[in-house]
Amino acid sequence: MNAGILSVTPAFARVWKRNAQVYLTLWKFNIFPALAEPVLFIFVFGLGIGSYIEEMEGVPYLDFVAPGILAIAAIMQATFECTYGSYFRMRMQNTFEGIISTPISADEVGMAEIVWGATRGLVTSTLVLLLMVAIGVFDSWTTLLLPLLTFLAAFNFAALGIIVTSRIGQMEYFHFYFAGFVLPAQFLCGTFFPVSRFPDVVQAIAWIIPLTSFVDIMRSLTLDRVSASLLPELLWALGSTLILTEIAVRSMHRRLVE
Amino acid sequence: MIVEAKSLHKRFQDVVAVESLDFQVQAGECYGLVGPNGAGKTTTMKMIYCLNRPTSGELRVFGLDVASEQRRIKAKLGVVPQENNLDPDLSTCQNLQVYARYFGISKQESTRKCRELLEFMQLGDRADSPTPRLSGGMKRRLVIARALVNDPDLLILDEPTTGLDPQVRHLIWDRLLDLKEQGITLILTTHYMEEAQKLCDRVMIMDRSRAVDEGSPGQLIQQHISPYVLELRMDRSLAATVQDRFRGLKHQVSGQNLFFYGDSASEFDDLLAAYPDMERLLRPSSLEDVFLKLTGREIRQ
Repeated sequence: MNAGILSVTPAFARVWKRNAQVYLTLWKFNIFPALAEPVLFIFVFGLGIGSYIEEMEGVPYLDFVAPGILAIAAIMQATFECTYGSYFRMRMQNTFEGIISTPISADEVGMAEIVWGATRGLVTSTLVLLLMVAIGVFDSWTTLLLPLLTFLAAFNFAALGIIVTSRIGQMEYFHFYFAGFVLPAQFLCGTFFPVSRFPDVVQAIAWIIPLTSFVDIMRSLTLDRVSASLLPELLWALGSTLILTEIAVRSMHRRLVE
Repeated sequence: MIVEAKSLHKRFQDVVAVESLDFQVQAGECYGLVGPNGAGKTTTMKMIYCLNRPTSGELRVFGLDVASEQRRIKAKLGVVPQENNLDPDLSTCQNLQVYARYFGISKQESTRKCRELLEFMQLGDRADSPTPRLSGGMKRRLVIARALVNDPDLLILDEPTTGLDPQVRHLIWDRLLDLKEQGITLILTTHYMEEAQKLCDRVMIMDRSRAVDEGSPGQLIQQHISPYVLELRMDRSLAATVQDRFRGLKHQVSGQNLFFYGDSASEFDDLLAAYPDMERLLRPSSLEDVFLKLTGREIRQ
């Protein structure tokens, strides 16, 4: 059986294009609601609560929290797209079954869904980034590297979303995934305050979730604190993305080709 | 040979869906799979278009092994699945074009194909309609048009006309016969024996995961059943009397219906003379009679 990332050909982009085409047809419904949460976070945490916090780790709170908000925007978009979005295409619309009746393989459908989820994460987080730049949050050239990291973080969570989607029998299981993992991850991974505040066990768990590494790398970039100590984090961020993608693609294959 | 199956088996966990299936489909013929729900027809089709993997046995499509050559097989297939799976967010023509892209067909070519195929399926004036606005018959015709976008050598149709009105059904039959005339091989499943009889050169009757018999509709009728059927409708007590009195004739009871089978219509003369007022229908026997004889009249769960 040939399955997994290595069996994926560039033909997967045709499925990505299908998703992009539908997205653009419905762009009004897609772009604005996705911005609501990150914009709210900027106001509530960055500007609101931030006005009560003098500094966090030696910088104004808005500067500290901005990379976290950006990462959350990316991973939440990717997660929604690759859970409810993909599940809907898979089960309600039978879209995937139609696609794999053509020369496109199930693995390519899995890959296309992940890259598409990552793309949506990139689009949303980049709009948030522009908004942050406009209100003067980031001023360093390192800002230019942020989209690359938000894309990767979104990719990571898109793959995880596809793993869940391809393994559940009914949509209601997403409630567990969101309540048990996605929601806690949003707040535990050093997004709003440093992970070092937690007891050791919680810290260890937080570092296993790749979001912690992504946020830390992004923050180190924007605060000009890049050092060699980021290397293991970068390796985990990239390595976990690769592993999750391989699992997700194989898992989608098993789901679609019985 | 377009399709060749040898002792094909398919098991889902502990459920056997297809067992010891042997059949061949020749180039240019229309081959039908008929059988009660759950007989294994859809699974057999899905193995041909590589969505289900055979548990054991051999299955070759265009001479290629389904285990290793999915991409090459699927490139030459058109598939009409049992359930419509159109993109509700895209227009009629966009649905065809998105599908054409999966086959690597250029935008220019797919625009041309879209016009041609929508015309062929009499949807020419609906090119820009959102698909949720189409009627059931239009959706089905669009799915068939979509399956033709890559000029397939083999068209697979899982219940192409279920739930459609007679006009649409006849239009689809005409189009499928057109395609057959063009040399495209067709494999279809259906619950309408009239459809199988009209379209199929050969039919395989399946029941409980196995093939029960195979042949042309004419052969099957000849082999299994007398050429004439007399259907009588009556209450059960009378049915018992009639049965008893005309024991010499081949017959079968189903609910309030009594079926007599004969080699000529005149065999029923005495019976009809004895009960002149009874509700009755004398007709040539059909594939449906064969189907019911071979797979039984009771409902399958």
